Amino acid sequence: MESLIELRRVGKTFANGTQALAGMSLSIEQGEFVSLLGPSGCGKSTVLRMIAGLAEPSSGEIVGGAGKGARRDAHDIGFVFQEPTLMPWAPVLDNVMLPLKLKREPPGAAREQVGQALAMVGLEKFARSYPRELSGGMKMRVSIARALITRPKLLLMDEPFAALDEMTRLKLNDDLLRLWQEFGLTIVFVTHSVYESVYLSSRVVVMAARPGRVVADEKIDAPYPRDEEFRLSPAYAAACRRVSQALHGAAAPAEAM
Amino acid sequence: MRAQPKWVNVVVPLAIALAVLIGWEAWVRIAEIPAYVIPAPSLVWSTLISDWPTLWPSLLVTLKITFLSLLLAVAGGVALAFLFSLSPWVELSLVPFAVVLQVTPIIAIAPLILIYAPNTLTALLICAWIVAFFPILSNTTVGLRSVDRNLDDLFSLYGASRWQRLRFLLAPSALPYFLAGLKIAGGLSLIGTVVAEYAAGTSGKESGLAYRILEASFRLNTPRMFAALVLVALTGILIYFLFNGISRLLLRKWHESELDASR
Amino acid sequence: MSAFRIAVAAATLFATVGAQAADKVVFATNWKAQAEHGGYYQALADGTYKACGLDVEIQMGGPSANNRPLLPVGKIDFLMGGNMLQAFDSVKQKIPTTVVAAHFQKDPQGIIAHPNQGIEKFEDLKKAPAILISAYSLAGFYQWMKSQYGFKEEQTKPYNFSIAPFLVNKTWAMQGLLSSEPYSIEKEAKFKPKFFLLADNGWSTYSNTVETRTELVEKKPKVVQCFVDASAIGWTNYLYGNNKAANEMIKKANPEMSDDILAYSIAKMKEYGIVDSGDATARGIGVMTDARMQDFLDKMVKAGLFKPGEIDLKKAYTLKFVGGGAGLAEKKKLTGK
Repeated sequence: MESLIELRRVGKTFANGTQALAGMSLSIEQGEFVSLLGPSGCGKSTVLRMIAGLAEPSSGEIVGGAGKGARRDAHDIGFVFQEPTLMPWAPVLDNVMLPLKLKREPPGAAREQVGQALAMVGLEKFARSYPRELSGGMKMRVSIARALITRPKLLLMDEPFAALDEMTRLKLNDDLLRLWQEFGLTIVFVTHSVYESVYLSSRVVVMAARPGRVVADEKIDAPYPRDEEFRLSPAYAAACRRVSQALHGAAAPAEAM
Repeated sequence: MRAQPKWVNVVVPLAIALAVLIGWEAWVRIAEIPAYVIPAPSLVWSTLISDWPTLWPSLLVTLKITFLSLLLAVAGGVALAFLFSLSPWVELSLVPFAVVLQVTPIIAIAPLILIYAPNTLTALLICAWIVAFFPILSNTTVGLRSVDRNLDDLFSLYGASRWQRLRFLLAPSALPYFLAGLKIAGGLSLIGTVVAEYAAGTSGKESGLAYRILEASFRLNTPRMFAALVLVALTGILIYFLFNGISRLLLRKWHESELDASR
Repeated sequence: MSAFRIAVAAATLFATVGAQAADKVVFATNWKAQAEHGGYYQALADGTYKACGLDVEIQMGGPSANNRPLLPVGKIDFLMGGNMLQAFDSVKQKIPTTVVAAHFQKDPQGIIAHPNQGIEKFEDLKKAPAILISAYSLAGFYQWMKSQYGFKEEQTKPYNFSIAPFLVNKTWAMQGLLSSEPYSIEKEAKFKPKFFLLADNGWSTYSNTVETRTELVEKKPKVVQCFVDASAIGWTNYLYGNNKAANEMIKKANPEMSDDILAYSIAKMKEYGIVDSGDATARGIGVMTDARMQDFLDKMVKAGLFKPGEIDLKKAYTLKFVGGGAGLAEKKKLTGK
C-alpha cells in the first residue's frame, strides 16, 4: 500500500536554537493507527504540527501532509488538540460547524452534517449548549466531532485525553477505536502513556529526546475490535513491556508478536 | 443564605441614598446653613424643576457630545487596535503618541484646542475623544493578542481567509476586553466633555451642563450649581449602567466576568 | 514713686493698650497685585489705615482664587468687586453682604481690536469674526453687549488670558483690562491696539467696589468708615503723590509687575478718568449715586440678567459711608485743585 504520509530525514530547529528533531524518517500507511510515544521534548507534537502544515521542517521533506509544496487540501486532515480548543462564545453546534463554515458550505447542509457528527459522539442533545456547560470529556468529544466533520482521511491527535480522568479516558479510547473502524480513518496519535498507545494502536513509534528521533517501531498485532478483555490479556502485558523497554532505552531488539 | 432575592439589589442602595438625603436635609435645617453655602436637597429639587427649561437643553447638549465623542473613540480605538495587531512596526511608532495624548491633562490643552478648531463643537469632540479613546485602544489591543493559540492554529488548518479570521476569531476573542475598555471609556467621555465645556464656556448657541455650573457659580446661584451637578452625576450613573448592561448582555452566556455566581 | 508718676504710667499703659486694640481686617482683591489696587497698598504703606484704627491685611485674588464665598462666612471682611453684577446677584440669592463704596467711577474693562481693520467705533466690533471673551464675562458684560448693541454669542471664542490668538488673527477682537493687555500687546507686537472702554459706551457700573457683611455695617460702622475713607486717601496719594512705597509692595506681592507697567497703568487710569472723574472730583473718590445704580440695574434687566423688580436696590448698597469728600483735602495739597 502506498504510504499516506512520509517523513524523509526531517529535522527541526527552533529559532532559539533548540533542536527538536534530527533526521527523523517515518512512513504512515493508509488505515493505520499509529501512536507516537515518547517523553517530553522528543518532538512528537512537532511532528504532528508539521504534518498538519502548522510548522515547517528545517531540513528534509514531508510528503503527503498539508505543508508547503504539498497538495493543500486541508479538509483531508482533522486535528484534535490537547485542550478541547472550543470557541467559548459559540454553542456546540457552531463549534462543530466551524470547518464547514470556513469552507463556505451552505448552512442548511452543514447543519445536517453537524447533527450527524454529534450523533457519532453521542452529544446530539447538546447542540445548543455552550462549552462552559460541558464536562471535560464532553468537550473533548465535541472537539473530535469537529475534527471529523469534514470526513478527513487523516486524523491527528495531540495527547487528546491527557487532561481527563481515568474513566472518561477509557471510555473515549473505546469511542475513538469505534470511529476509526467505522470511517476508515488513518490516525496519528501522540501520547506519553505506554498503556494507551498499546491499547489503541496497530503500531507504536517510540521516540527519544535531544535530539528528537525514532528509537523503536513496534507493531501491535492484536486484532480489532479491542476491549476490556484485551487489556487484561497476557499479549497486552507483553506488548506493554516491549514498548516500555524500548521507551526506556533497553537494547533488546523488537520482537513481533 | 446564598441566594438573595433580586429586589434586594435595588432596594438596599436606594434606601441608603434616601438616608443620606434625609441626613443632609436635616443637617442644613438644624445648623441653619444658608442656601448659598450648601442648599438643602429639597431646594435643589425645586430648583431642578424651576430651572428645567434651561437645564434640560444643556443636558441634551452634554449627552450629545458625550455619546458622539464616545462613538468616535470606539471607532478610532478599535481601528487603531487592529492596525497595531497587523503591524508591530506601526504599533511601535504610534504607541508613544497615544500615551502622550493619554497623560496630557486635558484641562491644560483644551483652551488651545478651542482656539484652533474650526468650531466649538469640533473642539469639544476632540477633547472628549482624547480622554476616551485610550482605554479602548489598549484594551482591544490586548484582546486581539489574547487569541487562543490553538484556535488560531485551527483556523490556519482550515485555510481561513483574513476576513474569516477577523470576523469569527479575532472579534469574538477581543470582545470581552473591548467591553471592559468601553465601560471605562463611557465615563471618561463624560468627564472629557465636562472638562472641555468648562474651558469652552458656551459653544455658540448650545451650552452644556458644565457651562451651566460655571455660569451659576459666577452668578452666585449655588442651588442651580447643585441642580446641574446632580444632572451630571445622574448622567454618569446612567452611562455606567448602560455599558454594564451591554457587557452583561453580550457576555452573559459564556464569559467568566458576567456569569451568574450560581453557576 | 509719687502718685503723679503712677498716674502717668497707668495712663500711658492704658493708652498703649488702647492704641494696640486696632481692628484686624482682611481685604480680598479680585486679581494679583497691580496698579488697579494701588490706592489700597498706598494706604497700607502710609499707615493711613492704622491712623483710624485698622490693621489691614490685603489678600490677593488671582486666576484660580475664589475669594467671594469667604465674605459671608467671615473669613474675609472686605471684598473688592469688579462690577455691581455680583452685588445684585447677592441680593437675589439673599447673601447678607452690601456695597459700601466704589473707588473706581468707571470699569476698566474694554474690548481691544487691531488698528486699520475698519473698526473705529464700538459698534464696528460687531464685524469681527471672533471676539475672545472669558466665560465669566460671557455671563456678564457680554449679555449687555448683546442687548444694547446686538452682538452675537456665536462670534465669541473662549478667552484664556493669552494674547497670542489675537496677535495671530488680525480681524479678531478680544476683551482686556485698560492697563494690562494693551501694554502687553504694545510690548510684544510693537503696535498700539485700539481700545474701547466699556464704561464710555454705556456700561455704567461702578468698579473696585468695596463689599462687606451687612452685619459689619450695622455693628461696626466705624471700622467700615475707616476703611472707606483711608482707601480714598490712599488712592489720592497713589495717583498724585509719592507712590514708591506702594509700588514696592505691589512688586513684592506680584513679581510680574514692573515699574514700567505700573507707570503705564497709572497714566491710563488718569487718562480715562477711571478713579477720579465725574462725581468723585467734587465729592471724593469712592462716591456712589442712586441714579447711576438704577441706570445700571435697568440695563441689566434689559439684558435679561434679572427679572424686573427682582432686585431691591436698597439691599445692594448704602451711601452712608461715601460722598463726604474723603481725600479731597489731600488732593488739594498735592495738586492745588
